[in-house]
Amino acid sequence: MSELVRLSDITKVYQGGVTGAVNGVSLTVEEGEFTAVMGPSGSGKSTLLNLIAGLDRPTSGSVSVAGSDLGRMSEAALARFRRDRVGFVFQFFHLLPNLTALENVLIPAQLKSTTSAEASGRELLDQLGIAEVADRYPAKLSGGQQQRVAIARALINKPSLLLADEPTGALDTRSGDQVMELLMELHRSGQTILLVTHDAKLATRYAARVISVLDGKIVDDARLETAERAAADVIRVRGEEARP
Amino acid sequence: MIAVVRKALADLRRRRLQAAVIFLTVFLSMAAGTMAVTLMSQTRDPYQAAFDKQRGAHLQIAYSATTDLQLLAKTPATVGAASSGGPYPVSNIQFKFGDRKFFVDAIGRDNPGGPVEVLNVTSGRWARANDEIVLTRSFAELNKISVGDRVKVVSVAQAPSLTVVGEVVDIDEGSADLSSQRAWVTSATVPALSTPDSAFYLMDYRFAGDPTSAQLQGYIERLRASLPPGSITGSLNYILVRSIFNITNQILTGVLSAFSVFALAATIAIVATLVTGIVISAYREIGIMKAIGFTPTQVVGVFALQIVIPALVACVLGIPVGTLISQPLLANSSHALGLSYEPTFSIGLDVLLLASGVLVVAIAATVPALRAGLLKPIAAIAKAAAPRGTGGRRLRSAAARARLPRPVVLGIGDAFARPLRAALTLITVLLGVATVVVAIGLPRSFLLINNSETGAGNYQVVVNRTGAFADADAMRILNAQPETARVVAVGGKNVTIAGLADPVNTQLFRGDSSRLGYLVIAGRWYSAPGEVIAPAGLLHDAHLKIGDSFTGTADGQPLQFRVVGETYDINNLGHSMFMDIATMASVKPAVEPYRYAVTLVPGADVSAYVRRVSALEPDLLDVHAADNSIIAPVKIIDTVLLVIAAVLALIGVGGVFNTLLLNTRERIQDTATLKALGMSPRQVMVMVAASAGLLALVGGLIAMPVGLSLHHVLNDVISSSAGNDTPPSVYAVFNPLELVLIPLLGVVVAVAAALIPGRWAARTNVVEVLHSE
Repeated sequence: MSELVRLSDITKVYQGGVTGAVNGVSLTVEEGEFTAVMGPSGSGKSTLLNLIAGLDRPTSGSVSVAGSDLGRMSEAALARFRRDRVGFVFQFFHLLPNLTALENVLIPAQLKSTTSAEASGRELLDQLGIAEVADRYPAKLSGGQQQRVAIARALINKPSLLLADEPTGALDTRSGDQVMELLMELHRSGQTILLVTHDAKLATRYAARVISVLDGKIVDDARLETAERAAADVIRVRGEEARP
Repeated sequence: MIAVVRKALADLRRRRLQAAVIFLTVFLSMAAGTMAVTLMSQTRDPYQAAFDKQRGAHLQIAYSATTDLQLLAKTPATVGAASSGGPYPVSNIQFKFGDRKFFVDAIGRDNPGGPVEVLNVTSGRWARANDEIVLTRSFAELNKISVGDRVKVVSVAQAPSLTVVGEVVDIDEGSADLSSQRAWVTSATVPALSTPDSAFYLMDYRFAGDPTSAQLQGYIERLRASLPPGSITGSLNYILVRSIFNITNQILTGVLSAFSVFALAATIAIVATLVTGIVISAYREIGIMKAIGFTPTQVVGVFALQIVIPALVACVLGIPVGTLISQPLLANSSHALGLSYEPTFSIGLDVLLLASGVLVVAIAATVPALRAGLLKPIAAIAKAAAPRGTGGRRLRSAAARARLPRPVVLGIGDAFARPLRAALTLITVLLGVATVVVAIGLPRSFLLINNSETGAGNYQVVVNRTGAFADADAMRILNAQPETARVVAVGGKNVTIAGLADPVNTQLFRGDSSRLGYLVIAGRWYSAPGEVIAPAGLLHDAHLKIGDSFTGTADGQPLQFRVVGETYDINNLGHSMFMDIATMASVKPAVEPYRYAVTLVPGADVSAYVRRVSALEPDLLDVHAADNSIIAPVKIIDTVLLVIAAVLALIGVGGVFNTLLLNTRERIQDTATLKALGMSPRQVMVMVAASAGLLALVGGLIAMPVGLSLHHVLNDVISSSAGNDTPPSVYAVFNPLELVLIPLLGVVVAVAAALIPGRWAARTNVVEVLHSE
């Protein structure tokens, strides 16, 4: 496997406060990995994700994805990078309400001026089990369906990296499980996934690697298959459920 | 109440850009409205004041020089005049000053006072000696003649010189650039300035009250009946003079009133759009306000007040500005009347305007703000903002089918996402573009009419002959010039028509007058003696239509006429007739032309021609290049139209800007999502610009027929106020390319206006926006 993401001594300081800040983080993600970044609210995990997606710029340090140094890119180049190399799944789906499910899926392709994406879009919806909602507007879809549409949208440009920020956070347990199974399937087919979650059980159940973040620092980086560590160990390191 | 004001002020500070939009639109519409109302309310007063002060004549009658003076002395009693002046001997003279020559009616009068038609001496003194003359101030100023200058009378063989000793203001004539002018000499001087053709008597009559038009007509009929036929050769009444005097301001106030209503409508649309947008985006805030104790009325008050405060400031500034802008026009009126200029305004009127302006804005703001008052607090808090507009789907689908770039497709959909907002925006665009259409079209229409009245392009040189120089000699000189291509000789004679009290001025042509450029509205130009063509004013008042035959009299001799067409002529507010000079063949003494319109061969040097012909007869012929320049009042109207168009266009741009601002703020989350998905800043700007472009295009396309119709209507109103119908060619002043380019120009302006909200949207911080969910 080759290296896909490299964060080198990343620091992010927000104006007027310290919450959400990242403090001297370095990590790499290999191609094909399913990595979960885990931590409590305000720990800086979403900030890490935004930095990798090129949505935000670090205060210091460098972010490199697929060999490209994001720090050297203009806003327009970052937009092209997101469009071509990254797929993003949000907690609250963020589907455009005035576009149908299929239209939402096609947007990244159309922003890229890919005109023949409709067949791929329908195929994706079919793969994700929601072919029948293609022409419905988001308001007519369940939360689970909306998140599947969002995943299809994230995949339409065949990104190198799929970023998922609390993808089950706005879903009931059943829908959440279905979405995670879907991500798992994608991972099995070779998709690199970086998942941000505060749910330790979810992280350890699906991800092969769990990075724990606390106060803007990586406090643990566990490769579950290789280190043969149980989920409980990870939880203990995070310092939550191990407390009496 | 304090809480409401504090909250409103806090919101105002937060929404400075929107407050600026409200301030600008209200300021512009109030300034335009105030100008219209001030002009309307004040224009009549200066004339009436001057007319009363100078004991102006309600009726002035020109009598033939052969009329018995004893009979004339009885005429005041015949009509029951309260006071009278004259009979004054008058001669139509031509005098030379420098290189230029002028026609004036020289009235023999020994003092400027008396019971009627008091002349207000504004400079110098009244004429005392036989070689002195007094001119009107407007004439002296227009032609730069000063007290002390000497003029040479060239219409009589002796060519006496007269010294200008004074300037007066005569209430019974218009300004020199619009009306023929008078001058005054001592009564003993007149015989030396007269020829048999040029002399007549003038009498002034003033009545106890201000007589109506019908009463004036009755007086003239009574005079005509009491005197030998042909005694009355001309008349002038105060109503006509006042109309001519006020016509510029009347047209201006008409145009200003129409466009003030436009500006007001656009302002209402913008206010309503803005308040609706604020309420939509502030659901959570409304919920919190209600939760902490604001009553529904107080909530509405907060939203209405944050609009009313900038509107109030705009009114307080806009009303004085409008009053100030109207002052030069009022000062011009006062000056023409010989009154000292005093700033003219009415505090009461200004207060009324202020109250009306604020009330209209308050209503426009309160109606959409009621939605905020009616919201349930829990629902409002839970929703944070109103559901996003989902209109424009069909448009978006159509755009997608047209394979337009995705940002353009999204922008097109956004433009009509909220149909009511889109409709209100279209109104502001429509009003702006329609006004621009009118502002482009009306000056062109004016130019066409001006050209028809001045013969622009049809003849290049005008020659006036004095009575001392024979018509045949003038024609011989002109025809002898190698550059002369065509000469049309013009004479005049007043004709009395049954049913019309005032004698009608005629234009008598010898030569191919159909090529002088007069506009034919209906029927055709005359082609034989006896046929006449006349403006609508005369045809209407004499109950004539094309094809009718009627009888008139000139110098007491009957003449047969047949109407063959309708033309356009603003002289005497459409009361004139055009015909071949041969129609007057039976009238004795014979009518001869006094003016010659000369068309030169292509490429001829007009100045050289003028110099050469002038040199041949320096005193007896007045030769000058045809003056096709636009008269000052039309220039004023053109300028005002331009300013109004700029104001309305600016308000239209403000409307689009406002809507884009609301749309981009409301859709900030969608924009952030799109950016997260890879939409580049340029694509975001294209999306916003597409919204603006579509709104401007649709508004512009609707506005074109509206603007053209308005141009049509205004032309009709203006023509009608000058006693005419509108010639069809005056409507058709736009070429097809312009009809396409004007809305496209609107699109360009709107896209430019989209730059600010577009850049703002393009710079959306994705992380902040998506995390604030």
